[in-house]
Amino acid sequence: MAAGQIELFLQTLIAGFLLGGLYALIGLGMALILGVMKIINLAHGDLMMVAMYVAYVLFQFFHIDPYLAVFIVAPVLFILGAGLQKFLITPVLKVESILPHNQVILTVGIGIVLSNLATLIFKSDYLSIPVSYATKAWYLSDFWKGSPIELSLSFAWSVSFLIAIAITGVLWFFLTRTDTGKSIRATAQDLDAALLMGVNVNHMRMLTFGLGSALVGIAGCLFIPIYYLYPSLGKQFTNIAFVITILGGLGSIEGAIIGGIILGIFESMTATYLGMGWAPVGRFAIFVAVLIFLPGGVASLMRRRSFTVSIK
Amino acid sequence: MQLCIVLINTIIEEASMKRLSVIMIGALVLILFSIPAYAAEPIQLSISLPLTGGEAKFGDIQKRSYEIAAQEINAKGGIKGRKLVLSFEDSEGKPEIARSIVEKMIDVKKQPVIVGEYTSSCAKAVAAVAEERKVPYLVVASASDEITQKNYKYVFRLNPTNAHYADGLISFLKQVVKPSTMAILYESSDFGTSGAEDMAKQAAKMGIKVLLKEKYAKGAVDFKPILSKVKSERPDVIYMVSYVLDAALLMRQLKELRVDAKLFAGGAAGFAIPEFIENAKDASEYVVTATLWSPKLNYPGSKQYADKYKAKYGSYPSYHGAAAYSALYVIKNALERAKSMKSDDIRNALKTTSMTTAFGPVKFEDKEGYQNQNFIDTLVLQVIKGEFETIWPLSIATHKYIYPIPTWRERG
Repeated sequence: MAAGQIELFLQTLIAGFLLGGLYALIGLGMALILGVMKIINLAHGDLMMVAMYVAYVLFQFFHIDPYLAVFIVAPVLFILGAGLQKFLITPVLKVESILPHNQVILTVGIGIVLSNLATLIFKSDYLSIPVSYATKAWYLSDFWKGSPIELSLSFAWSVSFLIAIAITGVLWFFLTRTDTGKSIRATAQDLDAALLMGVNVNHMRMLTFGLGSALVGIAGCLFIPIYYLYPSLGKQFTNIAFVITILGGLGSIEGAIIGGIILGIFESMTATYLGMGWAPVGRFAIFVAVLIFLPGGVASLMRRRSFTVSIK
Repeated sequence: MQLCIVLINTIIEEASMKRLSVIMIGALVLILFSIPAYAAEPIQLSISLPLTGGEAKFGDIQKRSYEIAAQEINAKGGIKGRKLVLSFEDSEGKPEIARSIVEKMIDVKKQPVIVGEYTSSCAKAVAAVAEERKVPYLVVASASDEITQKNYKYVFRLNPTNAHYADGLISFLKQVVKPSTMAILYESSDFGTSGAEDMAKQAAKMGIKVLLKEKYAKGAVDFKPILSKVKSERPDVIYMVSYVLDAALLMRQLKELRVDAKLFAGGAAGFAIPEFIENAKDASEYVVTATLWSPKLNYPGSKQYADKYKAKYGSYPSYHGAAAYSALYVIKNALERAKSMKSDDIRNALKTTSMTTAFGPVKFEDKEGYQNQNFIDTLVLQVIKGEFETIWPLSIATHKYIYPIPTWRERG
């Protein structure tokens, strides 16, 4: 029985890490947008839904594998995101109104429009891309004959995990080592100072929103082999991304990935040892707890030890 | 008619006594003309369904099926010579919206009979309104047992309840699999919960030990933690009640973790739709599921309806569609027998329904604590070579069941 318990624990831990990677991938784009523009993009999950439909169309009509589709979907989502920023969000930012967070309400509207458009075009059917590697996995017993326990590692989930880590690295490099990245951070830190230093703030905002959308586009492509898609799937992932962004520390990139993994492991452990029905409760309990006890999120802990490169 | 009387009154008031007789004759002619015109007035029937949101797929299947039935009915002269005109309202699968839609139907549109809704939560809300307003309501595909256990006089249900969904499956378990342990996984909705509760009760009756009973929230992505736990308990049967494609996810992840059991069984809904096989692919092989209907059944009209649907929309409908299609025929039948278009007369006509539809025989009975409930034999399907085959009851099986099933490792 002991071996069984160890197997259960290890398998849960693996599942938690992989789920966390996926969550981080979904959360990264939102963290970036929130960090730079102070806008909670509540259309985030719906943008992912759009990306998934684009990948689906590419597969249906051109037989492009969802992993390859990343190279088409990410630019498409970049253009969509940048366009949303330029033509919808920027004009609304300028409008004086009694509501303090007009842009947030706007993103809710954008999300509803997107999901209803998807219902119109694709109907409400549940769709999926039947890839051959959907259930492919590596098994411990295949590598170590006579192993007392059996563990499995899913191919599709591992890919999304590794890409989440890789993207975080690239993003970190981009934000800290390139001029454009530094301009984006400058915009985030002090809008007026950035303006005075000659940073084209509106341009940077467009770039950021595009980038955030492209990131969630990549997440969508990696997510399709694992999940399925339907027009209203966005909302639940907007929620998850939001929790991760808060957990990670508003707008922190490393915070987002660590936050994602913490949430993934926490949910998996809750599912195994408390019951899966508790997972959503746990998710929002963490959310509330972080807001109260650690308002800066994981990033604020890391900042205390001074090895963080937050975009703030 | 009221309009005519008002018209006459105003004419009388305005007219002088001399011309009264002339006007009276004119009014009489008017009434005579208006009577046949009234009789040909179409019957307006509004149907509330989830047309957006997570359950929209089933709403769509039902909407299409209602439309097919209405077309057929109108092609054959309508109901008592009156054309049937359908309109649809979107409840988004939310009880509060369904409730307000139905209140509008009854209070504003004065609709004498209500049909529709899909999710049990919405049907419950609608049933409460219908009962309160004394308007008959025909529940079409909502399975939660409670709906017809509340001593409602005006609520009728066409589909078998959750507790009976698995009747066929249970006799299959009893006679073929004879398991001693079971794990139950279910979606934390009304449908999932009552399905799981009923299976647990049945299992207790059969002497099967339920090792694990776990629920999950709709739209869950990762079942691996819970499935690992199932694996460590080694149950004979894994029974799952899932709404939609989470059924396919469960099977895929069961394969991924190589969780073996003597039988993987699903409780209808998500396990009985074609997308289940498309999405889960080889992981769906040998899975059995309870269901209420299959396109291959030999009830009169079943096959014709299924073929018509397929020709129009490219795939076979699920039982939800067949239930919706048949529901309209039940309404037609009741309206034809009802003494008038008043709610109470329609209610009494529904109560004495006895007919066979594409969905099966229909008769609303009061028994086993249910009121106005239709009881139909349920089937067991098994995925064999990527196709749903009816395997139980044996008398109408299209394929011999495959049992025992190979382990994941043996399947390669």
